[in-house]
Amino acid sequence: MLNMQSISRIFKTDTIKTHALRDFNLNVKPGEFVSVTGPSGSGKSTFLNVAGLLDGFDGGSYELDGVNVKGLKDDELSRLRNEKIGFIFQSYNLIPDFNIFDNIDMPLRYRGFSAKERKRRIENALEQVGLASRHKYLPSQLSGGQQQRIAIARALAGEPKILLADEPTGNLDSLMARQVMELLHTLNEQGSTIIMVTHDPDQARSIKRNVQVIDGQITDMSIYAPLNNVALNKAHTA
Amino acid sequence: MDMFLYYLKLSKHNLKRHKLFFTLMITTLAVGVAVLLANLAILRVMTSDPIPEKSDKIFSVNMNAWPEKDENISESLHILRYRDAMHILKSNIPTFSIAHYASQVYARNIESKSLTRFSAETRATTSDFFELTNAPFAFGGTWNNENSNDVVIGADLNQKLFGGINSVGKTIEIGKQIFRVVGVLKPWNLKPLFYHATERRAFNKTDDLYAPLETALTYNWGISARTSSTESFSDASDTRAKNVFYMQAFVQLENAQQKAQFQNYIDSYSQSLKDSGEHPFPINNKLYDVNQWLDKNKVVDQKILAFALATVLFLAVCIFNASSLLLARYHSAKFETGLRRAVGASKKNIFYQGAVESLIIGSCCAVLAIILGWAFLKFSLTLFPYLNDIASFDAKLMLLGIVIAVSTSFISALYPLIQASNSSLSAQIK
Repeated sequence: MLNMQSISRIFKTDTIKTHALRDFNLNVKPGEFVSVTGPSGSGKSTFLNVAGLLDGFDGGSYELDGVNVKGLKDDELSRLRNEKIGFIFQSYNLIPDFNIFDNIDMPLRYRGFSAKERKRRIENALEQVGLASRHKYLPSQLSGGQQQRIAIARALAGEPKILLADEPTGNLDSLMARQVMELLHTLNEQGSTIIMVTHDPDQARSIKRNVQVIDGQITDMSIYAPLNNVALNKAHTA
Repeated sequence: MDMFLYYLKLSKHNLKRHKLFFTLMITTLAVGVAVLLANLAILRVMTSDPIPEKSDKIFSVNMNAWPEKDENISESLHILRYRDAMHILKSNIPTFSIAHYASQVYARNIESKSLTRFSAETRATTSDFFELTNAPFAFGGTWNNENSNDVVIGADLNQKLFGGINSVGKTIEIGKQIFRVVGVLKPWNLKPLFYHATERRAFNKTDDLYAPLETALTYNWGISARTSSTESFSDASDTRAKNVFYMQAFVQLENAQQKAQFQNYIDSYSQSLKDSGEHPFPINNKLYDVNQWLDKNKVVDQKILAFALATVLFLAVCIFNASSLLLARYHSAKFETGLRRAVGASKKNIFYQGAVESLIIGSCCAVLAIILGWAFLKFSLTLFPYLNDIASFDAKLMLLGIVIAVSTSFISALYPLIQASNSSLSAQIK
């Protein structure tokens, strides 16, 4: 599904050269749920930006769902992002004065679906996140947890190959965080491939596979015990 | 089409969301476009070709036959003596040739019970005048006899004297003489009035009454134009035999060969006058076509030209300001742009969305610019009252206004749009 080999990403200023990622290797199979942890500045977000085609890379190779992304033009990268990737951001990133329907509709518009198909997908996605009746609401009329569910619905509506979540519970209280994590686990059980960046070690432990990034390199690839309710509860009540 | 409608929806949403900002931007651009349009309305009249179908074939005849050495006369003159004009008319080289002078008479419908006489700006001329100038006849035609009491009247005078009916065959009284109407013109706007572009008359209305030159001289109709003479004269009829320079002559020459022949014709005439000691100057006769003649007479007001340049610069400043405003807006909308890019919008999508928005802004700007432009034109005409009846906001100018407004809107959005669609994606969303 996602295969990164010897990826490097270097940020340069006039005087400083920062290796945000170096010799970064990761292979994620379809249906996997991978958490990415690491201290601030370790390169987690850079990895997620590169994985999500929001940023380029300087060396190595990257294949997403069998497509080598190196050298692709903006149009092709945008189409890949639209078709294969669903983003879930820490700050939800909903457009505040668009209603829920229009927010979820946004990526589908760029895919060129008919109005009927868009409506069907939006309704399905809202049903999946348990907010089927809220499509006329504005984001401000929903709680933080509900807003993040809407953001997940937006990511799901395009039926992507992989979900990339950047600290999706970072702005939520523990109860809401738990609800969101439960939703992500459910989606994974239903077959979605998910990569989630998190600061929370307990949350990471609730996920079967954990990747730890330090100084732009993967230093640990732990496989935890299969997900169980005890671990999940511990992670979200901590 | 689907995407275009989506972009329209987004633009409408943005306009509602940032009412004050867009009002400011649209007003900024509209004021710039409106000032330019008002100026163009005036400039267009001044620079227009009054007879485009043959302006390169009609020539003002300028000769130098002034009989005395005079330091003030260095160029050939557009005003001619009667006998010089007659010599021009005698030539069969031009397709049409005319001589004329401006006069003014008072005319009355002889059948009217009212004794009211209407003032009529008059052109004493020759019968080819109407064909040479493409004057549009509503009824009848020109006179056949240069000594007859036949006249052609303009639409305004026909309205005043006869209520606008077909008055061919009707009679009018001018200075106790009876004249027969043989032709009536349609409303005729000749801008600029090339056949009398001198003495700042280029934007006068066309005349009310046209009469045979010989008849006008015989009845001593006064000369209402620049007159220079080396002899005293009491009546217009005296001028036939005296050195009184006041007539203007125009000829229609179809090609370079005909022009060369006619140039030769008038040069030979001037040479013969010189040989007989009638003038001391080197032969320097000139034939100016219509546009050259209008240029020579500086029909385009220099103030207007300077103002035109200023309005273009003003519009550039407006575009710059609007562009700065847009740059600030796109900067503040970085989050939304980044989000759209993240979920699959390409740079092109972002650019097209901005372009559609600028199209809507341009359309709003066009409407406002046309309204403001009309108001500015009315104000400008207080500075140029002689253009009052002819400088107008017509469909062509409005269309031009729309094109300029939409273009300026797009130009002002171009740089901010390029910046917005090229900005780094990963830095904008978290």
